[in-house]
Amino acid sequence: MPLSLSLSLSLIRASNEEEKDRRRSTNPEVSFFFVFHFWYFNLKLCMDSILGQDVISDLPQSIVETILTKIPIRDAVRTSILSSKWRYKWANLTHLVFDDRCSSLYNDKGLVEGNLVKFITRFLFLHDGPIHMFTLSSTYLQGSPYIDQWLLFLSRKDVKELVIELGDRGWFRAPTCLFSCRKLTRLELIHCELDPPPSFKGFLSLKCLVLQQVYIAPDKVENLLSSCPLLESLTLSYFDSFALSICAPNLKYLCLEGEFKDIRLENTPLLIFVSVSMYMTDDTAEHFEQSTSCNFDKFLGGVPCLQRLIGYIYFTKYLSVGNELGKLPITYSHLKIVQLYEVSFEDMKEILVVLRLILNSPILQELQISSSSNTSLATEATDLDFWENECPSDCTFRLLKSVKIADISGVPHEMEFIKFLLRNSPVLEVMSIIPSTCVTDGRINMLIELLRFRRASAEAEITFIQN
Amino acid sequence: MSEGTMAVVKPEMKSYIWVQTADGLIQQVEEEVAMFCPMICREVLQMGMGSSKNCAVALPQRVNPAILGLILDYCRFHQVSGHSNKERKTFDEKFVRLDTKKLCELTSAADSLQLRPLVDLTSRALARMIEGKTPEEIRETFNLPDDLTEEEKLEPLRNITDDPRIRLLNRLYARKRRELREREQLKNVEVEEEHGDERSVDDLLSFINGGNGDSKGVKGTKTKKKSRGRKDQLRGCSSINENGKHKKDSAVGTFSPKLELDDGDIDDELDPAMKEELDREVEDFARRLNCVWPERMQKILTSGQESRRRLPIPITGTGSLKRYTAKFLLLDMTCKRGPFYFVTWMMYKLICNVSKIHQFLVAEEVYFLKQVWTSDNDPVEMTDFSQPIQLE
Repeated sequence: MPLSLSLSLSLIRASNEEEKDRRRSTNPEVSFFFVFHFWYFNLKLCMDSILGQDVISDLPQSIVETILTKIPIRDAVRTSILSSKWRYKWANLTHLVFDDRCSSLYNDKGLVEGNLVKFITRFLFLHDGPIHMFTLSSTYLQGSPYIDQWLLFLSRKDVKELVIELGDRGWFRAPTCLFSCRKLTRLELIHCELDPPPSFKGFLSLKCLVLQQVYIAPDKVENLLSSCPLLESLTLSYFDSFALSICAPNLKYLCLEGEFKDIRLENTPLLIFVSVSMYMTDDTAEHFEQSTSCNFDKFLGGVPCLQRLIGYIYFTKYLSVGNELGKLPITYSHLKIVQLYEVSFEDMKEILVVLRLILNSPILQELQISSSSNTSLATEATDLDFWENECPSDCTFRLLKSVKIADISGVPHEMEFIKFLLRNSPVLEVMSIIPSTCVTDGRINMLIELLRFRRASAEAEITFIQN
Repeated sequence: MSEGTMAVVKPEMKSYIWVQTADGLIQQVEEEVAMFCPMICREVLQMGMGSSKNCAVALPQRVNPAILGLILDYCRFHQVSGHSNKERKTFDEKFVRLDTKKLCELTSAADSLQLRPLVDLTSRALARMIEGKTPEEIRETFNLPDDLTEEEKLEPLRNITDDPRIRLLNRLYARKRRELREREQLKNVEVEEEHGDERSVDDLLSFINGGNGDSKGVKGTKTKKKSRGRKDQLRGCSSINENGKHKKDSAVGTFSPKLELDDGDIDDELDPAMKEELDREVEDFARRLNCVWPERMQKILTSGQESRRRLPIPITGTGSLKRYTAKFLLLDMTCKRGPFYFVTWMMYKLICNVSKIHQFLVAEEVYFLKQVWTSDNDPVEMTDFSQPIQLE
């Protein structure tokens, strides 16, 4: 810039001098013309290189939104002072995520809560346009009355995805305006109280529902589930002593966690993925012993499309309860992955459940089982002749490639089970065996037994993982 | 090497498709690479374009040849399935090391080609440049013009700076406005309303403080060209909203005076010691400004009664009021009478030039000087103020 300045100045001076010399001979406008263009050209070059072009402000709103959603919302609001074009770009965001970062942290929790409330209220007030997603996850906000107002505001803005995760200290009671969000496709509520009004007809577009630590009456849950016809994914966590009957014709993903007394999958023909984690207390276990209906049928009786099953602690115990009603077991012709944890190999019934499951899964590819047996209890193995006499010997796991058995203690039933698998898996590639950490002495014996087993697959690799 | 032992090289059968960029340039690109972009894929499969030079796939406006090259590099790497996730990540990180202009163009082009992974990658890179940076840094990175006034920056969400100087300013300002309003009611003088003050309080402070270089306290004053006077805050902010949405107006309107009058809100964030100190500073400051003003004002006004034609001393424009105060304060602090005034006037001019403070109208200075120079009660003839003063 200075260079061009001096150049053009000298030019002007030169031209002026020339002008003085040849006052009437030359046209002063001509010199001005040259000077001006020289100046302008230089200026433009310098402007482009020094000042640069503002490209980002002219990007389409969808890209600006993509960028602004990748930074915390507080920083996104701060872009309003950058320039006049950026003044209200933040106000058109459709995906809003509010968390504890929206307020600077102080020691006083009340102050943080106050700041958070102020920020969100002002933000919503100044927001312009539709809101598609609203996420609020904060440990400071409890049942603040402002949350009700925000939900009312959102219900009028046709919000589609709503995630509310609040702290543990108090119970937030969801207002009835939550149930008037007609266009909801995803609802996640964590730690709150839910009470659908009698006039509630259901979320007709809801596809994903996650309720975690939600206090709601059991029949209301069933009503809620049955009134959401498009529901595809359901997660229920930390429910107490529920007897649940799920009727959701489009349900594909199911995740249950909690103390369930009774789960019945009534109408879930499209279920693909199931993950269950049961927390049983003593009285629920008692309740199980007295039950006559077969849990296996109730739960897995109507899921022919199942592709993956994960069962955590006590799941197999739950399934083992009840007598078989003599119905023909269904074939799980799509089941590829089975993961069962904390299977007790001392209980014959649980072993039967496992066998029943894998014997009816012709395309099973991956099997993971972890055991919960204790060597001290199972020194005497009963029913060992089961494996020779009653166990079907002509079954083959045609596609079983990977098996992982963890936490074994060398209990006879466990070894028999491994033997059974090795004998009947012609395409097995890897079998990983992880001994239980409590067992240190019996490992050599385990290894010796393992070596002896016959393998149907020539490529089978047995890896014994010690840590 | 005889011919017989020469290995037979099978030519790789790569298929190409023709694409045309916005500037008319038609070129060939490898088909499998280009098909990674959903938009091109759709054009080729559904419309059957790209098979020959005549029906080349017309790329959207935002894709120029240089950017197309970059996009094809990206596609070429990622459409091969053999790379591990880590390799892909390293490639991505290296790929986005571009200057901001190119990055923005790349984002725009990827968006028009519907290449979602690349849009996410570039957006994330741009977001990293914005996150956690101060506004000045962001403006520098992206060459954004700083064309918002000081007021506009402070509203609507006061979440930007906790600088005590800004707070001091606000407080002092609120107090001054209150006092001036009272004075206005008392005096009830008809005065011409001056052309909107171009400067804000910041300049005066910096000038009085001897240009201490408090960049925070005088944020943006040097580059500001279109700052408005703080005469009417509500009017100022509602005129900014071009959309003219009533809700926004009222929202903005309610928030900005909240800024000034909500002293209680400001105080909340200070602890008591700091509060006291600031209060003391404010008092001090106000006293300094007020020391000479009332008497001077009286004299000028009384003498100005007769010749009110061109008396542009305002009372309502608070900014200009302060401007006068500062200037006259300096002049007053030096000698009272005589030729020293000329010296101080020249010094003042010099200081103005050096610190780049906007030149005040010559006429008013001259008038004042004349007032003070001559005896207090002599009426002054209003000569032609377009000429600089001739010293006797």
